[in-house]
Amino acid sequence: MEWYFWVAITSLGICFAGYIYHFLKLINLGSPKDYSKKSGSTKSGIIYSFTHAMNPVNKESAFLNLPTYISGVIYHLGTFLAIILFFVLFFTTNINELISLLLAAFLLLSTLCGAGMLIKRITDKKLRHLSNPDDYISNILVTLFHLGSGTVLFIPDVYPVYMVIASLLLLYIPLGKLKHVIYFFAARYHIGYFYGWRSVWPTAKSK
Amino acid sequence: MVKINEDIIKAGLEVLNSHKDSKLITHLNSCVHCGLCAKTCLYYLTSNDKRFIPARKVELVSAIYRRYFTFIGKTMPGLTNARKLDDDIIAEMIDLLYGACVMCGRCVKHCSIGVDIEYVVRKGREMLAKMGYVPESLQSTVKAALETGNNMAISYEDFTDTIEWMEEELQDDCDDPDARIPLNEHGKNVLYTLNPREPKFFPLSISAMAKIFYAAKESWTLSTYMYDVTNYAYFSSHPAEAKTIAQRIYDETDKLKAKRLVLAECGHGVRANRWEAPNYIEKEFPFDVITSVEIIAEYIKEGRIKPNKEIITEKTTLHDPCNLVRNAGVIDDQRYILKNCVKDFVEMVPYGTDNFCCGGGGGQLTMSEYNDRRLSIAEIKAEQIRKTGASIVVSPCHNCIDQLSQINVTYKLNVKIKTLAEIVADTLLVENMLNNNK
Repeated sequence: MEWYFWVAITSLGICFAGYIYHFLKLINLGSPKDYSKKSGSTKSGIIYSFTHAMNPVNKESAFLNLPTYISGVIYHLGTFLAIILFFVLFFTTNINELISLLLAAFLLLSTLCGAGMLIKRITDKKLRHLSNPDDYISNILVTLFHLGSGTVLFIPDVYPVYMVIASLLLLYIPLGKLKHVIYFFAARYHIGYFYGWRSVWPTAKSK
Repeated sequence: MVKINEDIIKAGLEVLNSHKDSKLITHLNSCVHCGLCAKTCLYYLTSNDKRFIPARKVELVSAIYRRYFTFIGKTMPGLTNARKLDDDIIAEMIDLLYGACVMCGRCVKHCSIGVDIEYVVRKGREMLAKMGYVPESLQSTVKAALETGNNMAISYEDFTDTIEWMEEELQDDCDDPDARIPLNEHGKNVLYTLNPREPKFFPLSISAMAKIFYAAKESWTLSTYMYDVTNYAYFSSHPAEAKTIAQRIYDETDKLKAKRLVLAECGHGVRANRWEAPNYIEKEFPFDVITSVEIIAEYIKEGRIKPNKEIITEKTTLHDPCNLVRNAGVIDDQRYILKNCVKDFVEMVPYGTDNFCCGGGGGQLTMSEYNDRRLSIAEIKAEQIRKTGASIVVSPCHNCIDQLSQINVTYKLNVKIKTLAEIVADTLLVENMLNNNK
């Protein structure tokens, strides 16, 4: 096995350990204990939090910022796709040409979205004010990962470079803002629990 | 401002290091700095000041958390902009967490991740409170409540005099010399609370609610010892002080053996007593805690009161108190009541759980040093009201009423500001009530 495989596997192990650390920390601390008398359903609130509440129609952060929102959705889909591809490429590089073409096209699009969001973060005064080096590094690593994933499908020679990028990303995930891959789900759980308990969510009658 | 020292730092960090559950670490680790929350916030929308972006407020607290409690923040603080707890960040926290947040939670509902920004702001305020940095103006309100039993330091004599006067008003209004405002009576169905602004400035809202209870033939009482529905320690976020205030109202309800504690029209009072108080004192309440809005809606649904919607014909709109609606789930009852009491009801846009705060939330009305900011963020509410074309604005919250009254003058809206109880009381006809009470 080539050296870059070992690097990637080691990085994956470290990433996984970091992920487990954060996950166990969350599990260990557990759900809130609320002494107030529940008026709604936490289960319905949590389901609503992951479904209707994520609908761009119900979210000002989405419908008032539609281009950014759409870029974000494509970018995240690209990330999931690139992660799946990373595991597939461990076992085989022999992927159907049409599928490769479609994957590469989508990954190119998500790369452009990532680059666009990076440019926005650099040029938009408001976003620059909010940003720290971690925000830029995270974006660059993930965007390069998308680009590498799309490129390696047609240019196998970049495989070692691709694996190094993937390894750097994996090592970085548990450290910086990319750990929102775990905390996003925890945040939506908590917000659903909170609003569900008080019967604010699900909301049907009033907007 | 007292200079920071090791003991103060320790007290502040203790807040970030105490975990009852996973909520705090979740929300401190979740923000991705996308900045999409900016346009949900009154402060940012009316000023375009990037310091006011909700994510920036979260960042103040999470940057300290990262510096002291994460590996990367301890070893490479520059990478994530992890910050030391020092005088500079404390000054920023006071200005942004106390002075530039109404704790309305609007940003929470619209956050792309689901960060409970208002909760993080409250934790930041708790740090400041534990370190002794609550703005003096807010702390003096808390102090008045702790020392006198109500946040306006109304004496027992003044309070009982006002109630006697309101009882006479009630008797005139109902044309019944036996109509009463019962005080300190045991075993009643309802113990009713008041916002101290009522006995101090707006006593007619007390007689309005008394008229509703009279019409509904309710078994109720007021307490002269603990009637204050507010808990400003919820805003200062000092848990021990909030607990003391919450415990008093619990003890009084328990002492009088009331079946239901009914919370007056006060958004944060509802939140503090209905939802937070059991957690402050870590005890489930053996009695029901409901809002006056819910009980009035209940009376109408059960036919115990019969409002006449032909009396108020002017166009009427509703301002939703954030702590009653978005943070307490009382969304439809106030609409049901108004639709039964006024002929021409119109909603503001947006409304309900998407409503904008009036600008008086988060304790802003007590912090006079931020008055200019408070009135400038109210521009959004003023425009909302103007666009409805309504001449009456109703709000089931005395804090909101106070802010709306100031908005009315500042933005020359020329509208009437009313509580929900006042509207309902105005629509109850004397002959109906007399028949009902025979």
